[in-house]
Amino acid sequence: MSGVIEIEGLRKTFRSVRKGHRVAVAGFDLLVEAGQVHGFLGPNGSGKTTTLRALLGLVRADAGQMRVFGADAPQSLPQVAHRVGAIVESPQFFGNFTGHRTLRLLAVAGGVPVSRVDEALEQVGLRDRGHDRVKGYSLGMKQRLAVASALLKRPELLILDEPANGLDPAGIREMRDLMRTLAGNGVTVLVSSHILAEIQLICDHVTIISRGQRVTAGPVTEVLAGFDRNECLVRADDLTRAEQLLQAAGLTVTAHADHLVVGGVPDPTLISRTLGEQDVWVRELTPVRPDLESVFLELTGAGQQPTLPRQTDGGSAPGLSGAPSIDLDEFRGVQA
Amino acid sequence: MNLIRAEAERLAARRFVQLMVLLLMLAFVVTAGTTLASSHTPTSAEVAAAEQQAAAERSVIEREHARCLARDRGEAWAQDRNHYLPADCSEIDPVVQGWSPTAANYLTDVFTFTQQAEALLYFLVAFLVLFGFLVGASYIGADLNSGGVVNLLLWRPRRMTVLGTKLGTLLGAVLVLSVLASVAYLVTFWVIAQVAGYPGPTDATFWADLAARWGRGVGLVLFATAIGFALATVGRHTAAAVGAVLAYLVVWEMGGRIMMQILDVSRPDQLLLSNHVGAWLAGELRFWDATPCADAFTGYCNGTYPLTWHLAFVVLLLFTAGLTTTAFAVFRRRDLI
Ligand SMILES: Nc1ncnc2c1ncn2[C@@H]1O[C@H](COP(=O)(O)OP(=O)(O)OP(=O)(O)O)[C@@H](O)[C@H]1O
Ligand SMILES: [Mg+2]
Repeated sequence: MSGVIEIEGLRKTFRSVRKGHRVAVAGFDLLVEAGQVHGFLGPNGSGKTTTLRALLGLVRADAGQMRVFGADAPQSLPQVAHRVGAIVESPQFFGNFTGHRTLRLLAVAGGVPVSRVDEALEQVGLRDRGHDRVKGYSLGMKQRLAVASALLKRPELLILDEPANGLDPAGIREMRDLMRTLAGNGVTVLVSSHILAEIQLICDHVTIISRGQRVTAGPVTEVLAGFDRNECLVRADDLTRAEQLLQAAGLTVTAHADHLVVGGVPDPTLISRTLGEQDVWVRELTPVRPDLESVFLELTGAGQQPTLPRQTDGGSAPGLSGAPSIDLDEFRGVQA
Repeated sequence: MNLIRAEAERLAARRFVQLMVLLLMLAFVVTAGTTLASSHTPTSAEVAAAEQQAAAERSVIEREHARCLARDRGEAWAQDRNHYLPADCSEIDPVVQGWSPTAANYLTDVFTFTQQAEALLYFLVAFLVLFGFLVGASYIGADLNSGGVVNLLLWRPRRMTVLGTKLGTLLGAVLVLSVLASVAYLVTFWVIAQVAGYPGPTDATFWADLAARWGRGVGLVLFATAIGFALATVGRHTAAAVGAVLAYLVVWEMGGRIMMQILDVSRPDQLLLSNHVGAWLAGELRFWDATPCADAFTGYCNGTYPLTWHLAFVVLLLFTAGLTTTAFAVFRRRDLI
């Protein structure tokens, strides 16, 4: 197996005397193979950042096996650290140092030639502001600096936790181009993001995590194909008749105000033929392909139970788990 | 090696460090300036007069001592009850006391190096202790807080090495700064004494004593630095270190002292760190202990006991080592968020 990242059965529970226990990762598996651009998706609080922190030795896992480039993590991380560039959840930097100095100190500590600093700043479009204090950076600029710090050592594996956080549209596109270039150069990328359209554009593989567990994983096309119900959107000159005809032909039809959604259609010509034979003329016939967003929302059940069950020492009723929390996916669920 | 270089650069680039160094130089300039302005080189006449005065004073002291010894021998002329003499003549024996007036004591408006060196050194040590503690605490505190440690650990995923290098670099830097600052400081005042004051009787004993105090002072600076670093590591904040020291002072040095008095604990003074710090700097401190005198009805009872710098060294070393070990143990296992 050419696994660049291999995680099996990772568990992490945050324990606090006052607030009880919180299960962040509950037996999670992840396999990222060489050369992949791997999307790591999951609702807020599903355990993405915790997984990455555990992998990088920043938090102590309770159970599970992790390997990076075949080396056991976190024990053997020092052997492979020079091959791994990572940012974990909007890294913070010391505000009084300039961006240039921040990177310089890392380069010196890591034995990377200091000349790389300017190159990395250039790569993320921060060259002009490199000698300003980080304190004076905007959110997106800090994020760019973080990415630059990950790029500094010319990593073979790049781990990016929400790199697009705070970036403007141009920045998002630059990030996309950057990742494509890196992937083109053979860099393996693991990227977590909530911008699913973006992930769909750049990633060839995805893993979706929900409540600390993997709910799906695989090549993006396969994951999407698994959710393809062969649906078509149909608009016709006489919708009511069209509905009757298609139902009569044994298809499942859902009527909407100005269109029909027809399910179980392996071949759309079936629709145009069925309707055309009866003098009903098709205006629009579009196969409905699932996108990552719909798959994501379906798999993570977002909107229904947004938060992880919280276990207190006495054990708690699951009904309490939907306690007030601002949750992006709940928000989306309402809109959907 | 790379890590040490990076840490040294990080330390030197810290604004707080730069500010403290600036303050140190300011204090230096101010004390040196005022000393220079208020001192003058004594004329040979002034020195001669002061020497005469000292000689007169010395002979008074010697005469008193001789009279005291004569009284003890029972010689009649010395038995004047109206003339005060101590019960124990060694109290006024200039040889035993190790001090007798010199010309330096009778020079007014003259900066005398031998008289002032100790106080100057203690002032500097106090400043450097504060410097070491605050810089030690803020160096790791700000780094833990700003995510600098996390970023560094992504590059060098060895926690003990990273923290150890930080502490080592810090102690090395503070040591170099302390040595440089104190040498510059004493040399400056030595020169001031030469050109606009009076060096005083600088014999080998004087220098040996000053050097010992200086060495212990620098040692204290290093202890304070390590303690600040360890406290801030455990508390994750610069402020945690300051808070811990204040809490210690209020709870133990004040509250504990009162409690020990109420509970009649014997020799409470030796349980307070501040006294060990004092003993370490001074060489020895004596504290009152009433126990041996409790059943002495009459006569002489020496109810004091010493805290020596030897004991103080062990206490301070154990204390610092304990805190530092705790800090490393905590940091080793901690979840870094
Ligand atoms: N330091 C911590 N102490 C206690 N609980 C924590 C801590 N860090 C994370 N958690 C909990 O662990 C769970 C997973 O958090 P994590 O940060 O891994 O989620 P995430 O998938 O990265 O979410 P997001 O998309 O919002 O970044 C959450 O329920 C969170 O509250
Ligand atoms: Mg996260």
